[in-house]
Amino acid sequence: MASAQESSLSTNSRDRSSIRNFFFSNEFGLLFLILVFATIFALLTTGFTSRFNLYALGRNISIDVVIGFSMMVVIVTGGLNLSVGSIGVSAVMFGGWLIEGMGSNLPIALILLLLGGGLLGAVNGVMVVRTGVHSFIITLATMSVYFGLMIWLTQAEAFRNLPPEVATFGRTKIYGYLSPLLLISLGVAIMLAVLYRYTSLGRNMLAAGANPTAAELSGVNVKRTFILCHALSGLLAALAATMLTCRTGAAIPSMTGHIGQDWLLPAFLAPVLGGTLLSGGKVSVLGTFFGAVLVSLLTNGLLLLQVSEFWVQAVLGALLLSAVLLEKLRNVVLLQNRFI
Amino acid sequence: MTQENVFQEFGRKSFRTLKNCLLGTTLACLTASPVLASDTRVALVPGGPHPYFAAWEKAGQDAKRDFGLSGADYRVPQKWELSQQNQLLESLLTQGYNGFLIFPGDPVGTNSIASELTAEGTPVIALAGCLKQPTPAVFCLGTDTGNSAYLGTKELIKTLGGKGKIAHFTGFLVDPNTQLRIDAVQKAANETGGAVEVIQVIADIDAPEPAEEKINAFLAAQADKVDGIVTTAWVPAVVAANSLRKIGDKRIKMVGIDHDEVVLKAIKDGYVHGTMLQNPYGQGYIGSFAMNKLRSGCKVNQNAPFKSTALTNQFIDSGTAFVGRDKVDTYIGAMEAVTKDLMASFESTYLVCN
Repeated sequence: MASAQESSLSTNSRDRSSIRNFFFSNEFGLLFLILVFATIFALLTTGFTSRFNLYALGRNISIDVVIGFSMMVVIVTGGLNLSVGSIGVSAVMFGGWLIEGMGSNLPIALILLLLGGGLLGAVNGVMVVRTGVHSFIITLATMSVYFGLMIWLTQAEAFRNLPPEVATFGRTKIYGYLSPLLLISLGVAIMLAVLYRYTSLGRNMLAAGANPTAAELSGVNVKRTFILCHALSGLLAALAATMLTCRTGAAIPSMTGHIGQDWLLPAFLAPVLGGTLLSGGKVSVLGTFFGAVLVSLLTNGLLLLQVSEFWVQAVLGALLLSAVLLEKLRNVVLLQNRFI
Repeated sequence: MTQENVFQEFGRKSFRTLKNCLLGTTLACLTASPVLASDTRVALVPGGPHPYFAAWEKAGQDAKRDFGLSGADYRVPQKWELSQQNQLLESLLTQGYNGFLIFPGDPVGTNSIASELTAEGTPVIALAGCLKQPTPAVFCLGTDTGNSAYLGTKELIKTLGGKGKIAHFTGFLVDPNTQLRIDAVQKAANETGGAVEVIQVIADIDAPEPAEEKINAFLAAQADKVDGIVTTAWVPAVVAANSLRKIGDKRIKMVGIDHDEVVLKAIKDGYVHGTMLQNPYGQGYIGSFAMNKLRSGCKVNQNAPFKSTALTNQFIDSGTAFVGRDKVDTYIGAMEAVTKDLMASFESTYLVCN
């Protein structure tokens, strides 16, 4: 009886601790901000809660989420992948060529383009582990190399005769306001959460990122793990670009901007806001998801408030800075109160 | 100074040169019908910040006043990104804009958002750049870029005496107009039977930093080997004009494009032979007029004398004109004349109104 009471007390204590930890978590802070800003925009703007706006917002969120994930899986290693945009556009241009140039059917082209993205990511990883040069330098170089090769091979011509199902999928509305692209990003989030929480591969990635030497001594093949992280990043970048292709209905050389640099801000904002450590070893899939939601929400709301388009970028930059400073402040408060 | 800031500065300069233009008032007299209040709220949306589009703001303001529109606002995506433009367009639709004049961020990719806008009952006109057919845009009103580049090169060849070596500085490689311009310059050179040779094409430089770097490097290495320069994008024209002034070279003849103050002053001072004007004000003004008509029940005349380009067979040329030293002080008049001509017969030629 006494043992049962102790067990019950222990369980209750753990539950309270989990709930308390959640309320002090980065994810809860982001969720709170999302709800606050959504309420403000709903009250101050016309059309924020309209079906079209909710649909468009959801679609933008879905792409930003996957872009954020493509950076997050490399930040886990303590590295960066500046070439996510270049890999993404190169992969979909490869897919476009398979369909229009080689007559491939859509599912096969889709699989091959995702593998192509993974391959380009793996090339980054191989160069990083073989040379020992920081991934910032390697991917800074490959973002130009991949993009340049793509422009040279395609002569900057878009693949515009893709099967109509591509654009139709991108324009599909579930119940009038939900984009199927959002379901894809949710699916990716669940798979990544399972990877990091329940698989040895995911735990190896976290261990290798936190302390490569210790991980190596524990039997983790750190180099192979880093290459896999970069390959996963390339695959996710290719997936994000595929989703964007569904949005535009064509594979376009400029879809991620010049040398893919348009993706850099969303790629960094989501994981950094979400609490992924830039030094590696800690990841937050839910936080990255919420980070992307917050960024897309703010962009949408500020545009609806008719804030000058030029100020939106400044606000997003200030948000990034505020998030970092608030995180520092929160950690200090929690330490002082011995919550952590 | 960032690229955006430079563009904004260029834009302000361009706007100043146009602010005294009374074109809108003049053109209003050409519309016989009295101005009635309209619920048409037009958004004029370029692909990103660029000085070329600065004249659209005044064009929208004048159109709003002259045609009694509910609104005609110039809204600029913060960067040259297709996704940024798409987000802005989605937001503008949510805000209640019901007519869109769009410079396509991509001639193919913008078709998707254009389809969504038209599905919501808002017409779309492609402005200054065309959408690739099939497209939901009712027509494309812009400069015939290939023809403009061709005519500019012919002017350059004429001033060179029909022979020499020329260089061509042009815009972004991902812009489909760029290849048209490159082909047009080459075509004009080929027509000389080898007397004129295009010794170098420098593309992808319609931004201050790459333009400064590449044009200055070219002139440092090959200024003595080149006789003429033709530029077919705004920023390269400005940078090349500045560079020729800095090195004090009046031997090299140059034909630029557009109406930046730097280029106009270089023409006056003899560093640049002339410039090919485009008509951004007319595009914005006439485009707003046409949008209001379309929303009032007019239809596009399918038998209208549309031109064909590589992208569309429903192209309306907003006009181009060469301005040399003799006309540089009255260039606004040249733009007015082109716009007046087009405006005078636009409704009867391109629209069917009951």
